[in-house]
Amino acid sequence: MKKRFKAVLAGNPNCGKTSIFNALTGARQHVGNYSGVTVESKSGFFEIGDISVEIVDLPGIYSLSSGSPEEKIAFAELTKKGVDLIINVVDSSIPRRNLYLTTQLAELGIPMVLAFNMSDDAKKKGLSFDMPKLEKYFGAPIVQTIGRTGSGIEELASKIAKTLKLQTRSARPMPAYGTDTDDAIRAVSEAVEKYGGKNISHIPVRFFAIKLLENDSCVAAIPELNQAKPEALNQMRHLREKHAIDPESYMADRRYAMIAGACAGAVSASRERRREISDKIDAVMANKFFGFPLFLIIIYLTFFFTFTCAQPFMDWIEAAFGFMSDSVKAAWDENTLPFWRSLLTDGIIGGVGGVIVFLPNILFLFFAIAILEDSGYMARAAFIMDGIMRKFGLQGRSFVPLVLGFGCNVPAIMATRCIESERDRTVTIMVLPLMSCGARLPIYALVIPAFFAAEYQAAMMWIIYIIGVAVALLAAKIMRNTLFKGDGEIYLMELPPYRIPTVRSLLLHMWDRGKIYLHKAGTIILATSVLLFIANTYPQKTVFSKDYDAIAEQAMKTGKEKGEPEEKINGIIAALENEKSSEMLEYTASGRIGKFLEPMFSPIGFDWKLTTASIGALAAKEVFVSQLGILYAEGETDENSDTLRERLAKNYTPAQGFCIMLFSLMSIPCLATLAVMKRELNSWKLMLVEALALFAVAYAATAAVYQTCLLFGIGTKLIP
Amino acid sequence: MKDKNNESVPLADLPVGAEATIIKILPNMRGRKKFADVGIMAGADLILEAKSLFGGLLRVRVMETSMAFHARDAKNILTKVRKNEKAI
Repeated sequence: MKKRFKAVLAGNPNCGKTSIFNALTGARQHVGNYSGVTVESKSGFFEIGDISVEIVDLPGIYSLSSGSPEEKIAFAELTKKGVDLIINVVDSSIPRRNLYLTTQLAELGIPMVLAFNMSDDAKKKGLSFDMPKLEKYFGAPIVQTIGRTGSGIEELASKIAKTLKLQTRSARPMPAYGTDTDDAIRAVSEAVEKYGGKNISHIPVRFFAIKLLENDSCVAAIPELNQAKPEALNQMRHLREKHAIDPESYMADRRYAMIAGACAGAVSASRERRREISDKIDAVMANKFFGFPLFLIIIYLTFFFTFTCAQPFMDWIEAAFGFMSDSVKAAWDENTLPFWRSLLTDGIIGGVGGVIVFLPNILFLFFAIAILEDSGYMARAAFIMDGIMRKFGLQGRSFVPLVLGFGCNVPAIMATRCIESERDRTVTIMVLPLMSCGARLPIYALVIPAFFAAEYQAAMMWIIYIIGVAVALLAAKIMRNTLFKGDGEIYLMELPPYRIPTVRSLLLHMWDRGKIYLHKAGTIILATSVLLFIANTYPQKTVFSKDYDAIAEQAMKTGKEKGEPEEKINGIIAALENEKSSEMLEYTASGRIGKFLEPMFSPIGFDWKLTTASIGALAAKEVFVSQLGILYAEGETDENSDTLRERLAKNYTPAQGFCIMLFSLMSIPCLATLAVMKRELNSWKLMLVEALALFAVAYAATAAVYQTCLLFGIGTKLIP
Repeated sequence: MKDKNNESVPLADLPVGAEATIIKILPNMRGRKKFADVGIMAGADLILEAKSLFGGLLRVRVMETSMAFHARDAKNILTKVRKNEKAI
């Protein structure tokens, strides 16, 4: 059996850490969330010789502090027991900035290997390194890599294996901060040594001493260090008095001075080519006048790619599931175990198929997003849109998911992963269901022509979409001023130079998301599909208000005797079958719930049929139309069904028609959206609160509109 | 807002394209450590590359990297101008 080791991959944002991770682990990766937060966790493994290495890919960080959720997670992972190795990825084209983190990682006393990544860019910039000197300074082997092409990866893997086998945790030369600071570190180290407990004994006391001097909140919260704090405060005061600078900035300043010293003889530079090219692209892409229109075009192209290019694949999946269901039905006699036959074909295959059909959307969207992210454009888009989005309590990166929400809320919620701030991401996820997704379109397409004259139809559609956007932005503003109040995290975003993404990285990114979605379809969606199927099918009615079979038989006989055309006879029989289906649905759990809830929904203008259809819409919004079709005995209908429109117009007023759309727009989204929301928010509680809040908002708004219409007599008369 | 005694200008008030050196970070600035971690501290040279179209964000090049942050934070960063350019 191979010996197992744990390695942690750490580096700055945009240093090419993910490409190194992908190159080392290939597709052997697992993506999840860190417990309690929405920060993504990624791990994978690779084998070399007689060892197996598990790699944990930490979020990109500039420092080992506690300034952001990402830094807190990195700190917690790195100070856990059981980390055998740190693989520090350094963007070697900007060594000074990247080595700042390296100095802190070195202080952890854990064996380390440095990957000097993007060495091609460093070379183009004219940078050259005295590797033996740097290796000696940081006490770690250094390998030059190009993550995008895989250059240097074999050597890196071999250095990792060699370092893991040696497992030497000591004898690393510790970077010196200067006499005053080193004296202060020594004094605090002694206090930590004296009072520190077992739980922190695997990390050198010097690391904790430096962090205490930096006033780091994560370290200050470690109970074992409580008694060392007075000495740390004493030394901080001493340093502040002597150097007239706050200790946080002072320690950062010393570190950069240290790196400058280390680099002085080991790094030499000449020109800066990559930046020049990037600046030329930015002169157009982030231009004051062209930047915004170009951004809108790029978003449109993303939208087009996600929804239009994916459509043929969605059609194929839909057809494949239809074929699967029909094949099972054909092979399985309808009188043999009818419940299980129906459950498998209509419940499981139909339900899961209805969700998997969105898989092409997910894959295409994340391919497009990966291009935007990896090329460096996403940071520019956020920079362009931030000013507008801030006015509503959101941030620049919220814009892309919100726009994608018009297509489908599911991939849009998953796209919020590009938002680094947890608070902004949570608010964006929570308002996203208010963006009118494509599945609501069949409802509008059914209702608008039924109640509104042709000249007002486009305006009505526009109004509905605008209401969605306005309510979403207002809700975001309210949430940021109440539930998610506060200044939020410090906004500090790097705009990396433009780069050409690699196909491998794009495909891996796309596959990660696809896997998550498929896993969801196979678990929560499967379970809820079965539940909804049962609610829409059982209990089954056996005694009907009339003998439909006998009436149908009689109608057929009479029709034939009178010599009526077969089409007319079939029409009468179909109408009877639909009437029977309507009676059956009324008898099911969904129908009964609809009838039971009717008094509650009457203030918003809904009768039991609309209420039942709304329950069905939980499975997927467009199900509202087909449920209503069954209830109005029109059989399977779609949004173009004129007969159903006529029935709606005969039974409901224009005010009620508008309320159907308003309620569908704002109420609880489909189960797929709720499931992905739970996953991305990492909280059942937040997901349930969101569902209840959306229902409450939808109910209150629809009731207000309907009651106002009744009060002023607006649209309250049936269309003649 | 220009301090006439030492000619310090808040970073937020610099024109686009200006090259400056940070001379002081005001004590009331939040997240000083976070800014210091990316090299935004006294003594650092920077270039104000852009201001976002709809306001709010500044794009500053410091230590060979473009960083975006809020103008309200940049008001607490006092600089001394080395070179003024109309635009980048």
